[in-house]
Amino acid sequence: MIVALLALPLAAAGLLARARGRLATVLHGAAVVGTLLIGLVLALGAVRGTEAAALGGLLRVDALSGWMIMVIVVVATLAGAEAPRYAAAGRAFYALLHLMVFTMLLAVCTDDVGLMWVAVEGTTLASVFLVNFERTRASLEAAYKYLLICSVGIAVAFCGTVLVYYAEVVRQQTLAEHTAHALRWTALLALAPSLPPRVLEIAFVFLVVGYGTKAGLAPMHTWLPDAHSEAPAPVSALMSGVLLSIGIYAIARFKPIVDAGAGPGFAGRILLGLGVLSLAVAAAFLWAPANYKRMLAYSSVEHMGLVALGLGFGGALGVSGALLHVANHGLAKSTLFLLAGRIRAAYGSAEVTAVRDLVSVLPFSGRAFLLALFALLGLPPFGLFVSEVMIFGAGFRQGHPWLAGVALALLLVAFGGLLRAAHRMLLGAAPTPAPAGAAWPGSVPIVVALAVLVLTGLAWPPGLGDALALAAKVVSR
Amino acid sequence: MTIASNFLVFVALGITLLLVWRQSWRGRVRLFVVQSWVLAALAVTLGALVRRPALVAVGVVFAVMKTWIIPRVLRRMGHGSPLRPVAPGRSAGLPVLGAGALVVVAYAVMLPITGAVATGVPTRGAIPLAFAVALIGLFVCVTGRDALGQVIGFLVFENGLFALALLATYGLPGIVEAGAFLEVLVLVLLMEGMLVQIRREHDSLDIERLRELRG
Repeated sequence: MIVALLALPLAAAGLLARARGRLATVLHGAAVVGTLLIGLVLALGAVRGTEAAALGGLLRVDALSGWMIMVIVVVATLAGAEAPRYAAAGRAFYALLHLMVFTMLLAVCTDDVGLMWVAVEGTTLASVFLVNFERTRASLEAAYKYLLICSVGIAVAFCGTVLVYYAEVVRQQTLAEHTAHALRWTALLALAPSLPPRVLEIAFVFLVVGYGTKAGLAPMHTWLPDAHSEAPAPVSALMSGVLLSIGIYAIARFKPIVDAGAGPGFAGRILLGLGVLSLAVAAAFLWAPANYKRMLAYSSVEHMGLVALGLGFGGALGVSGALLHVANHGLAKSTLFLLAGRIRAAYGSAEVTAVRDLVSVLPFSGRAFLLALFALLGLPPFGLFVSEVMIFGAGFRQGHPWLAGVALALLLVAFGGLLRAAHRMLLGAAPTPAPAGAAWPGSVPIVVALAVLVLTGLAWPPGLGDALALAAKVVSR
Repeated sequence: MTIASNFLVFVALGITLLLVWRQSWRGRVRLFVVQSWVLAALAVTLGALVRRPALVAVGVVFAVMKTWIIPRVLRRMGHGSPLRPVAPGRSAGLPVLGAGALVVVAYAVMLPITGAVATGVPTRGAIPLAFAVALIGLFVCVTGRDALGQVIGFLVFENGLFALALLATYGLPGIVEAGAFLEVLVLVLLMEGMLVQIRREHDSLDIERLRELRG
């Protein structure tokens, strides 16, 4: 089952690199739906407690992986439904999109932290060409920064992974053969209490800096606003919606190992510091955003900061809040980026001041954009309200009231800025001649995404609470 | 044997310092090639020390990649860009001083985990040196004034991490090694494509010209 989930997007990428025209679109659609179905079946099993493994344990899906698979395939479907509008410009678009999905799925499906590193680096290489897909000066610059900064970051994460392996060598005190599968997460977790704490601490610092770069945590976020605002909308949706969370996922995988080896608190403190810093950086920009795609990108920095806070506060409540936030943010942000792509196509500009009278120009997309923005702001009845309440609740409960208070204040600043931008885009007279709102096929996924967001906010479907608790247990033991 | 490995890493660090000092692109590529030969020798030496044929194979692949394939791409990248002499008033003295300071930083970070705790690892003494190579490479990368300088800095950074991985673990699992090699190769090729495009757009590789995106 896991093998099928990984093989499908990979095979699709291979085929789509050759296919043209209508055939390519049909193949793309089939691959998207197939990945969604297999992914959901696998994920639903995993979050109910049935772990799956394949290839001698190299691939392993537990509740946490299952949760991430669910987010990846759902966001990939949203992005995939919008992709045909953008794919006309070049054949490689579909192929690289599926390659990116493959690398992301591989990163969360493997038990080997070394292979996870390879997969995360693969996500950068697969997406860098997509960022530069429009081949303008700005997108070229964004892609160059993205490739360079993320490659450096991921090399730092490599150093951290090496040091974790080194910790295992140090523990044995001999150069005898390594413990079998010493880079397997399950093996590391079992060994963790006997690993040298100092080595683990330094390794974790490297890992957080490295994977934190991919996750867009400040101060390593500098590539993010450029890459996310210049990429075509489906790519931005994938990058902001799930790729960032995969960086966080990698950090979350190492956290229980470091907690067990170096004592609780060390990893949490680092995550709290980076979380608050990310919120502060995002709030400073979001106070007066000029470009709505950059605004969405900075808001991703903000939300990744919130997720880091949730993991840092820890406890069952904090971690499950963080995981729920990953899913909610993935849905809301990818929807917003897709709609931003439509708005940009209609108005021909990504500046906030260029967009006027949004709802009457684009009746459906405008309204959906507004609703998704409300969701992103964390207003009830949307799911982000619930996950933010969980994260801050964990903060107050775990004895960090001041930190939680500061974070809440920063959140309010960002809230004000986003609301102001929305206000500007909605009001005013439409520019003349009025931009033509082209008909966009496939608005169903967007409606479904918004409906799911309301669902996670108002009434949890049966089993969601248990699934979250099970996934959170992987991180906080 | 540990004397041999310590010596090789020391030489690699010396080459890195030379690379900071040297400003011409051809000279830098040559230094990078020499450094890669030294590190390939390190892999083979360690393979002999702990009797792991796999490490010898890693050394051979490394040599093919970093002394032959990647330098070819690097020389292609350099074509057409004017050979930029050291700008007046910007001597290489300050960067070399900075690189020297980074050696101290590398020791400060790595000593606590390579001292008494790691007596089972005979090559532990060279780990801070390898880390220094990586740090200086990163330094060259972030202070590079043009895209070429950033690329070579990144490659030296990668070389330092390769040496660190060798000295600390005597070879990672094959799938990780293979993955890491493949990624470096793809990355350099992607970089080349991007540099061609940057040069076409801006008629220069000066990164000061990449300033469309702000805020």
